[in-house]
Amino acid sequence: MVGFSLALAAVAAALAMAAGAALPMRARVLWVGVLTALSAAAGGAAAVAVLAGSGTFTANYPNLFPLGGVRLEFDALSAIFVLATAVVAVPASIYGIGYSAHGPASRPVQIAFPLLVWSVMMVPAAGNVTGLIAFWELMALSSLVVVLAEHHHNTEARTAAQWYAAMTHLSLLAIVLALIVLARQAGGDSFADIRLGVHQVGPISAGVVFLLTLVGFGAKAGVVPFHVWLPRAHPEAPSHASALMSGAMVKLGVYGLVRVGWDLLGGGPVWWGAVVVVVGLVSAMFGILHALIASDLKRLLAYSTTENIGLIFIGVGAAGMFASSGNRTLAAVALAAAMLHVVNHAAFKGLLFLGAGSILSATGTRDLDRLGGLARRMPVTAATFAVGSLAIAALPPLNGFVSEWLLLQSLVHSLPSSAAVVAVAMPVAVAVVALTGGLAAATFVKAFGTAFLAMPRTAEADQAHESPRTMQIGLVALSGVCIALALAPTVFAAPLQRVALAVGGLADGRPIHTNGVYLQLSGIQAGLSPLLLAVGLMVMIVAALAVVRRGRVRRTIRDIPAWGCGRTVQTARMEYTATSFAEPLQRVFDDVLHPEIDIDVDHRTESRHYVQAIRYRMHIRDGFEHRLYLPLLAAVRRWGDRARAVQNGSIHRYLAYSLVTLIVVLVVSR
Amino acid sequence: MSATGIAVAMLQVVLTIAAAPLLVGMMRLVRARLEGRVGAPIRQPWRDLRKLLRKERMVSANTGWVFSIAPLVLLASAALVAGIVPFLSTRSALDQVGDLFAVVYLLLLGTVFLSLAGLDAGTAFGGMGASREMTIAAIAEPTVLVAIFALSVSTGSSNLGAIVAATLAHPSTAASPESLLAFAALAVVTIAETGRIPVDNPATHLELTMIHEAMILEYSGPDLAMVELAAHLRLVVFLGLLANLFVPWGIATTVQPLHLAAAAAAVAIKLVALAATIAAIEVFIAKVRLFRVPELLAASFVLAFLAVTASFFLA
Amino acid sequence: MNDTAFVQLLDIAAGLVLVTSFAALWLRRLVAVARVIAVQGVALAAVAFVIGLYEHENELVAVSLMVGALRGVVLPGLILRAVRAGDERREVESLINVPAALLAASGLTLIAYAATRDVVALSSTPQVRALPLGVAVMLIGMLLIVTRRKAVLQIMGVLMLDNGIALVMFLGTSGVPLAVELGIASDVLLAMFILQVLTSRIRNKFGGTDLDQLRELRD
Repeated sequence: MVGFSLALAAVAAALAMAAGAALPMRARVLWVGVLTALSAAAGGAAAVAVLAGSGTFTANYPNLFPLGGVRLEFDALSAIFVLATAVVAVPASIYGIGYSAHGPASRPVQIAFPLLVWSVMMVPAAGNVTGLIAFWELMALSSLVVVLAEHHHNTEARTAAQWYAAMTHLSLLAIVLALIVLARQAGGDSFADIRLGVHQVGPISAGVVFLLTLVGFGAKAGVVPFHVWLPRAHPEAPSHASALMSGAMVKLGVYGLVRVGWDLLGGGPVWWGAVVVVVGLVSAMFGILHALIASDLKRLLAYSTTENIGLIFIGVGAAGMFASSGNRTLAAVALAAAMLHVVNHAAFKGLLFLGAGSILSATGTRDLDRLGGLARRMPVTAATFAVGSLAIAALPPLNGFVSEWLLLQSLVHSLPSSAAVVAVAMPVAVAVVALTGGLAAATFVKAFGTAFLAMPRTAEADQAHESPRTMQIGLVALSGVCIALALAPTVFAAPLQRVALAVGGLADGRPIHTNGVYLQLSGIQAGLSPLLLAVGLMVMIVAALAVVRRGRVRRTIRDIPAWGCGRTVQTARMEYTATSFAEPLQRVFDDVLHPEIDIDVDHRTESRHYVQAIRYRMHIRDGFEHRLYLPLLAAVRRWGDRARAVQNGSIHRYLAYSLVTLIVVLVVSR
Repeated sequence: MSATGIAVAMLQVVLTIAAAPLLVGMMRLVRARLEGRVGAPIRQPWRDLRKLLRKERMVSANTGWVFSIAPLVLLASAALVAGIVPFLSTRSALDQVGDLFAVVYLLLLGTVFLSLAGLDAGTAFGGMGASREMTIAAIAEPTVLVAIFALSVSTGSSNLGAIVAATLAHPSTAASPESLLAFAALAVVTIAETGRIPVDNPATHLELTMIHEAMILEYSGPDLAMVELAAHLRLVVFLGLLANLFVPWGIATTVQPLHLAAAAAAVAIKLVALAATIAAIEVFIAKVRLFRVPELLAASFVLAFLAVTASFFLA
Repeated sequence: MNDTAFVQLLDIAAGLVLVTSFAALWLRRLVAVARVIAVQGVALAAVAFVIGLYEHENELVAVSLMVGALRGVVLPGLILRAVRAGDERREVESLINVPAALLAASGLTLIAYAATRDVVALSSTPQVRALPLGVAVMLIGMLLIVTRRKAVLQIMGVLMLDNGIALVMFLGTSGVPLAVELGIASDVLLAMFILQVLTSRIRNKFGGTDLDQLRELRD
């Protein structure tokens, strides 16, 4: 069953790529969408089968590449990530049919997208070092092509692609180094051999491998300080591809970290987990603060991805810390929280990126300050975006709340008797998770409120219209997934146990118990029933409606003007914009964000007491980009300039270089 | 989930809704008397609500469906919380449905919808109120969750029933440093979240200072009634949480009618005492500047944080 | 006094010493800060008093009364006089803003807990378990000295630092010999007088005690 599904996924992806290469434009977009959705659905079916308990699937193709073969090992840990991919990839592919008809329909993009979907599903399925690296690189290249989709008329896309290419290869370099050291010391290429031989790896090499893994996979996951490519690449890629990249691809960073750090290496000392928690805390805070002040919708979503990956890292790191200090039941709960958040985030972030794509294709802008009033013009997009916003703000009864609740429970119940570092880290972690939760709510009130509510701020927003049917299907499907995940997280009880068992160094046992509708945790006396919460809310709403209706309301008068302090004319210029909405919070966090503010006042020529115009400019730079990367790039450039002296175009000099090299080689190798 | 449990939860919701406007009326009366005014009778808020329910509903042309459903969600979330919080008995059916975290996030759900409604109005005031409300809600959140952390360390659970039962079983924990600190922290947050002085002034309509009132300017008739009732209800819920989490005595641990009646009397006394204290304090202090509010909340966060460290290390 | 009541009273009194040091960071008016320091002195005396009662050490009870008089009344009274005598603005001026100072103090508290963990593990008496509080008060006193700009506040910081040291002593050793306590108190008193004289001289000479302006004395 699993093997058949995986084969089907590969065949469908190959057909989709063929369709992308061969068919004329209209048919190309349609068939690529359908076949990619089929491929992702087949992968999802395999994942569901493994999660439901069909056991680990393995396959071996020893002679696939000249230097090494590919092994597949599809266990529960792989499956949860493939499931997250399928959750976002199926609706995104269907959405892509409508979306590409007005935009990225060119052959390279249409070939790259199915390849991206397939490689994202195959990275977790790889069962040896060669396979992991091969699929990883395939994924990196196909996503790079997708980011470059609109490079013809958009210079931003080119810069974004440069940043992305640089970061993704930094990531690959670190991963290859880590895995080669690991495979060599453990004496094997396949994961099974490494697990057997991992006791030969000394503690220092294990630490080095772990840190390299953290750098490599962290760069892909977009955690601070490697996040700089996210807010550049995600806005430039076509929206259904950004949904896939943000919802699924960056998660593979988490997968790699868990797989190598706690499965292959089998876990380590407490500081491993502590480092991951610290990275997660910094990413969560930094990501949400920049999301809060961003007015470019897709940039906002990209920064929010950094925040959510930060939350997942907190869960993984906390699990590592608990496991190292001997509390494996709690570690299982923390891991379950992280894994559930992987799936949940795939659903709502995918949904929000698709919604942003609909806005972009309807109005031509991603700038929240130029939108407004879309709820009446794009009702389906508005309703689905609202679901995604509530979910990502971790509000009940939606799915983001469930995983945030699990995470908080695992952090709160770290026992006082555990190690000092745990006792110090957990209160800080709870505070940061709480603050990110609150700021996320503010961020998405801003995003939804300024894009969809009140009056349109520009003519483009005024003339927006609902997107085509296929795009609506993608949006509705993903919001359905969000709601389903919210109401029935209990179905994940058994699968999450299998995931916990698959990660040998982290956890064992059963993190979540369920009796029908309640979610209960092992070792923690706390319960939650998202389903009954939702039912309770509905009952209360119906009751309130019934009471109000009985109150003999005469009629509703619409069309009255809003109260404007006595002014009768109400224009969109009086509305709060996204920037003004975020201003109080931005002021609170001034010391972290360091905004640059310029105010120019022009006076009238007649008298200095009358002001003619005031120009206010505020710019907030990404601190890491500004203080870390730009100096680094400048240094590289200086070195490059210096190296230029070596080449002056003279053919004699180049020949002389060859001669010198030859002599050196002869002398050194003898 | 037993039938009696559901009955207790329903009873709590109904009683809280009935009592909330009276408590607000009482606070206004205390304040008026202390300021040397006669003041309106205690049941005045109920009269206002009844009047509003009979008025016609006027909706601004700019608004959409978010504006229409926001009062419903706000009221429903507050009412649901009133069923979860152990006012009368620890045996409410909703106790296992949601714990303290769920309560906090449900209340945040109401805040989010009200802020969206403020933005939907499309006026400068609506946006101003929404922006300020979300600012305060966001930076109050760490205090609340860290205070919950402190409470659940000593009892091993974040379920309200379990916390109350643990305090009843070990009365001395009520006066331990961690509970005192957590109480102080939650008290500050209560004042911030319910829009009382010194964070917001519930009686103001001065444009530049209002927060809550700015968001609901466009509401009228039954919608306004719902928003007002929800605001009263949230005040009672917060005060009730403070009262019963830290001083739970009097609460019923069974579902016998006699015990429930006694519990109702006990919680009423506690609520009146708390509310009268707040009203009396409000007479003597001034509202702080909006940009001083973060300092207040930072202080409350520190209290909550100390509560956690105390419960971690002194335990 | 039974065991539970002792533990609770001790924890509350020691906790109050810590909370007042946070309050000193939070408040903006110099007079209010001085009053909070007075409360801290009384809370410190209460710690000694409770321990003395519990362990039936009359000497410690006597020490506690003296501590209360000295640190709760006399020293803060001197500071208040210094504040009132100054004609400069009576608001705290700080190098970092209030929320940042509070968060930094929270961090210092955590560090105090982490650093004293091994000591605390040695013994399980309630006194020793409250020991980190004293260390935290010391650290916060130093933070106050480092971040505030007025010499009066530096004096208050010194007093808070000393309160922290005294708290550690009361908790760490069961009962301080009277002579030691007297010696320390007189040291502090001396320091206070010196600072008092110094500040008044600085003020006479330069018309203010903003420490940043003292930099110019270097040349």
